[in-house]
Amino acid sequence: MAEPMKIRAKMEGDDADVKVLMSHPMETGQRKNEKGELVPLHFIQSVVATHNGKTVLDAQWSQAIAHNPFLGFRIKGAKPGDKITVSWIDNTGDKGNIETTVAAP
Amino acid sequence: MTRPVPAARTRLLAAVSALAIFAASGATTAASDAKNTTAKKPAPLELKGPASPQPWHRYKVDTQGSTWPQAEWSAYSTLATVATPPPEGSLRFATPIEGDAVKGRQLAFDRGRGGSCVACHVFGKYTPPQPGNVGPDLSMVGATRSDDYLFNYVYDPRTFQKDSIMPPWGAHKIFNVAEIKDIVAFLKTLKEPATFKDPQDNPAMRTLPREMRDNLDPTENPAMFGLDRGKEVFGRAGANGKSCVSCHAAPEREFKTWAARMPRYEPRLNKVIGVEEFITRHARAITGDEMLMQSADNLGLSVYLHNLANGAAINPDLSSAGAKQALKRGRELLDRKVGQLNMACNDCHVTHANKWARGQYLPLFKGTIAHFPTWRTGRADIWDIRKRFEWCNVSVRANELPPDAKEYGDVELALAVINKGEKINSPGIRQ
Amino acid sequence: MNQMRRTLLKLSAAALAVGFGLLKTGQALAATWNKAGFESKATSDALKALGVSGAQPSKDIVISAPDIAENGAQVPVTVTSKIPNTQSISILADKNPFPLTSSFDFANGAEGYVSTKLKMGQSSNVIVVVKADGRFFTASKEVKVTIGGCGG
Repeated sequence: MAEPMKIRAKMEGDDADVKVLMSHPMETGQRKNEKGELVPLHFIQSVVATHNGKTVLDAQWSQAIAHNPFLGFRIKGAKPGDKITVSWIDNTGDKGNIETTVAAP
Repeated sequence: MTRPVPAARTRLLAAVSALAIFAASGATTAASDAKNTTAKKPAPLELKGPASPQPWHRYKVDTQGSTWPQAEWSAYSTLATVATPPPEGSLRFATPIEGDAVKGRQLAFDRGRGGSCVACHVFGKYTPPQPGNVGPDLSMVGATRSDDYLFNYVYDPRTFQKDSIMPPWGAHKIFNVAEIKDIVAFLKTLKEPATFKDPQDNPAMRTLPREMRDNLDPTENPAMFGLDRGKEVFGRAGANGKSCVSCHAAPEREFKTWAARMPRYEPRLNKVIGVEEFITRHARAITGDEMLMQSADNLGLSVYLHNLANGAAINPDLSSAGAKQALKRGRELLDRKVGQLNMACNDCHVTHANKWARGQYLPLFKGTIAHFPTWRTGRADIWDIRKRFEWCNVSVRANELPPDAKEYGDVELALAVINKGEKINSPGIRQ
Repeated sequence: MNQMRRTLLKLSAAALAVGFGLLKTGQALAATWNKAGFESKATSDALKALGVSGAQPSKDIVISAPDIAENGAQVPVTVTSKIPNTQSISILADKNPFPLTSSFDFANGAEGYVSTKLKMGQSSNVIVVVKADGRFFTASKEVKVTIGGCGG
């Protein structure tokens, strides 16, 4: 089930600067809930970003990435109108993805 | 619901037809812009039940595992009740006072005992990281103060300074007599000034915090998901088939300053209500939705309604006698000592503002409310201002009140008056 | 502490061998999740699991992180590698129970730049390892976590 995500991609000089916020609990498996039960490990393990269909970023994460994880990256030579996608998959198999086009400076 | 007079209806129809998307909703009757409504009739509110979850229980744990202390402090005052805690006092011993200095140091640095002495004081060469400076530097007290003075200042500072922010550690039973003797033994060893390897550890040299984040950047502030939720809830039909949009077709125009005029004294309830309590009672009356204070829907709507007023100057309505009385009560409550730690809101946010409590800088009240509701990064959730009050109370070991408590309304009004002129900027993002 | 995990999706060996193949938009994992690295309890073990050897300290790795983070729940860390042909950036927090927090592989024009937010249990060194042209470089920055005024 896709969780809401937010993405912004805009030109910074020659680069497209991309910022993404993913809504995800990133549970460490150490936390107890209201009833005192341990909440199981639940975190995004892999994030892949593409630029006009080509993979530009392949990230592996641990549960030590913060809740509602943030990711910023830059692509050299990108242009306004280029398509950026960001997809993630977590340790339970849940997925999320979002796409945007690079805004003009 | 009454129908508006023809002139208003004509004006209304023009507005509605201009917003084609809403024209089909059949919401032409009784719909007028918010300004018009409040001038003619007060907004319908459910008046009987509480606006907070019942029975009220303190929060146990926030997202990310941050806990709330669960102790009950009924022996001590709250903002709602003045208790009769153990009285102020001092003790006399045959001097010199004997104790275990090593144990005393552990006790003085134990954060589980009301924050630890390091929250406010520097302790010479033993000073742990990030000491506070609410109170004086104690590095030389072993050379300058008598045993009797040291014991009784810790036991009950009020015998030396009536309105002291320092808790009465002995009189309020946070430390027992033997423990305070150990602390005195430790204090007696302090005879040399502190030196700080890292200047940031020195509260006199520490860099002041500055909020640099763009709180309205949706890739920076998770509370913007709450804003999305609020917009969705605004357009969602409740049990009665009505949504907020049914009567409020143009929220961007209608609510440009509404939140900046809150909280307000509500005569039908004889209390001050803020945006969140208004949402609960107005939704019950109109849409049939149950949106208790601090529920996700309520928080989302509160973010939305505040966000619509971004840039508007806080300007609470003080025209009624009820509002003036509430303001007077609120100002008195800001001065009331509460909790086992015996602190008043003014202690941290007026008298000792712009000092360090451990690694956190205490702000003046002015500039601290316009960003509510706010994302709290350390708690991973959106907090409305009433949750902030609950947390502050629990932090000084005072029982919190439920969010819809009238005393919290009085306090919120007093804070709004202090913040008059500050521009709404919500949702905020803070620690 | 490790709870039940579902099966991870794996890329074919061929794609792994060539690095980054032509992935379609939205497709899942490009590389196998480095279980050994992420489950290491010591920084040295995590680095070994990453295949790091002979890492040279480098001033061309810029770590932007607060000197004192407002809390340990989210510490913003931005890494800029000025080393040419940066292939990957890995970020560790050496006092975390599992020091390796993340690893980022770059291709097809992505700069040696990444920004994210870490959980840090306590004040610790943030250690960055960069792989460029098959060689390893490292830098670190001490990040303290604010101790709150109110205790229990």
